[in-house]
Amino acid sequence: MKNLVMKNPVMKNRALKNLVRTNEFTLAVIAIVGFGALAVATDLNLLTAGTMDAFLRFLAVPIVIGLAQMVVLVVGQMNLSVGVLTGFCAMASAWLLVEAGVPAPFAVLAALALGALVGLVNGLLVVFTRLNGFIVTLATMTILEGLRYGVNGTGTYQGYSPGLRALGGASVLGVPVVFLLAGTVAVATALFFRHSVPGRRLLASGGNPFAARLSGISNDRALVLAHTLSGLLAGVAAVIVVAAFGTVNASIGDDLLLSSFAAPIIGGVALAGGVVSVTGTVLAAFLVRLVDVTQAQFDINRRWVDLIIGAVVLGAVLLGRARDKLTGGAR
Amino acid sequence: MRTASPQPPTASAPSAAPPGARSRVLPFWANPRLGLVIVIAALVALFSSLSPAFLDPKLTLAPLQADVSVYVVVGLAQLAVLSLGHMNMAVGRMAALSTFAMGLAYDRLGVPLLVGLAIGLAVGAAIGALAGLVIAKTGVNSFVVTLALDFGLLGLVTILYTQATDGVAFAVKPAGLAELRFDTFADYCAGELCGPRVPLVVPFALVAALGVGLLFRFARLGREILMTGANPVAAELSGIPTHRRIVAAHATSGLLAALAGFMLAANNGAFSASIGESFLLPSFLAPVLGGTLLAGGAVSVLGTVLGATLTQVIYKGLNLLQFSLEELKLYIGLVLLAALSLDRLRAVLAERRAVSSS
Repeated sequence: MKNLVMKNPVMKNRALKNLVRTNEFTLAVIAIVGFGALAVATDLNLLTAGTMDAFLRFLAVPIVIGLAQMVVLVVGQMNLSVGVLTGFCAMASAWLLVEAGVPAPFAVLAALALGALVGLVNGLLVVFTRLNGFIVTLATMTILEGLRYGVNGTGTYQGYSPGLRALGGASVLGVPVVFLLAGTVAVATALFFRHSVPGRRLLASGGNPFAARLSGISNDRALVLAHTLSGLLAGVAAVIVVAAFGTVNASIGDDLLLSSFAAPIIGGVALAGGVVSVTGTVLAAFLVRLVDVTQAQFDINRRWVDLIIGAVVLGAVLLGRARDKLTGGAR
Repeated sequence: MRTASPQPPTASAPSAAPPGARSRVLPFWANPRLGLVIVIAALVALFSSLSPAFLDPKLTLAPLQADVSVYVVVGLAQLAVLSLGHMNMAVGRMAALSTFAMGLAYDRLGVPLLVGLAIGLAVGAAIGALAGLVIAKTGVNSFVVTLALDFGLLGLVTILYTQATDGVAFAVKPAGLAELRFDTFADYCAGELCGPRVPLVVPFALVAALGVGLLFRFARLGREILMTGANPVAAELSGIPTHRRIVAAHATSGLLAALAGFMLAANNGAFSASIGESFLLPSFLAPVLGGTLLAGGAVSVLGTVLGATLTQVIYKGLNLLQFSLEELKLYIGLVLLAALSLDRLRAVLAERRAVSSS
């Protein structure tokens, strides 16, 4: 739709207008204005190397976890286990590092494989039981909570693999490595949905399962693939947690479930499926992080953040509705 | 307690048979409620043989009944919107805001116990109605609206408690709260005849379950809510004011959440900010275990009562056997998964039998 050949200035003008009307554009403007306002309000303290570093470092996990939720929303599913799975994978890889003495690269791979495996199980359960994905992942989330705790009880793992932690704390040209990793994952996800055949199939299946089936696409396979990818991304988030935080305990992932939904929903991903917006999800994660930093900078009660995020989620959805109505429902 | 959808059953497509027709055709063992009763009975037998303390009326059975009562009402709060095919992700926070209103009323106004309860119920119904109104007016998915509301209330409740109390809980204990917490009907005698050892909060849950059951089975309002859930377009065309029914269902959900919050506060003996934190998952567990689907249009109140009983029996039993809370979750999740898969299998088998016999 957007790849129309632009023959004359009128068409070009229309393309520009369409760009301005997108949800991503609105979010980008809000993000830039908000960031600028915060930078001025803090006397440019926000732009110092240390503050920027922390800002981006703690943005990495929200981005990846938002994408993990997004890939299942694409096929009209939900993954409630995404936060707890991140915690479980983090605990498991820390256990491998500390208790089993496994080298760091293998522990990282193990975390990714574990995440993908649990995602695969979620997907297979959804397909074979024909139960709603919400219920299946509610059950697996409860199970994973138990497993996450079972790794080391209430104990904390720390002081593992200096190499991995150094990588997690390192920066390239002032940008933290973990943020670069999250950015790479986001680009890969975007390319997957834009150019790869499996990615297009996921979108087709999510948009209209019946039409997809008639076109020879297996909806069951799409469900399994989406859940597996979601688990894999949760594994990536776990690796970032292990590398960047330096300490891991059984409470990791508790606060990720609701925010995993906030990012894609603010970013304009429909719960009904068939719509994907990596840019929107990343920008929404950025906005949420901005609210977080504002709270820290001005020493505001932590709870105001939740209040504001709630308002932003609802506001974003209502805004999208209003825009759809104005433009005649064209997406 | 299931509704019949309007379309007639077709022999060629048994999987599309409406729930009402199915319940007439299927054999009795296809009823998920029966399975729950058997599982509960088996677990009670297992736990009491492993740990005789499980049958101790004062230490185990009375608190178990009190817990079951709370989570039955929590499950019903979710059931009220599942009837529409909606979700209420803010069920715990609605309870928290309502109990804050109750605590404030007792603390500042010194109202009697039941007046405070009424105030809290009104607040719960109002916030539920607000959610319903936003959903009905904007057409935004109920999951998104109540999720946003949950975020908002999470912040609001904590801020309110910081403003009005020392930050955690109201110090006030209204008259009657202690009795509600500790007494059973065995403490009240008429001459020689004493009541059974049933905690005083149990009747609250019974009234709630009966009320919701009657609403969805006999009341016009409940039937119209179910029709709206089964097929919104058909309901609208049949002259049902679907928007108002959506608001009513969400208001009921808020009201029940407030009642559950009150009962938990009574069990804990304090109106505190932490009420409702543990409500979200059990609120889905109980109705789903009881056979209520997320698709809307059909509810099972009895199943919700049994589902809540099952989860609390497992918690209490494993707790007595010295399992930690986190380990419990592993088993609750496995039981949930097994129960749902078996239910699915049973439905498939029953359908096949129904087809081959017809």
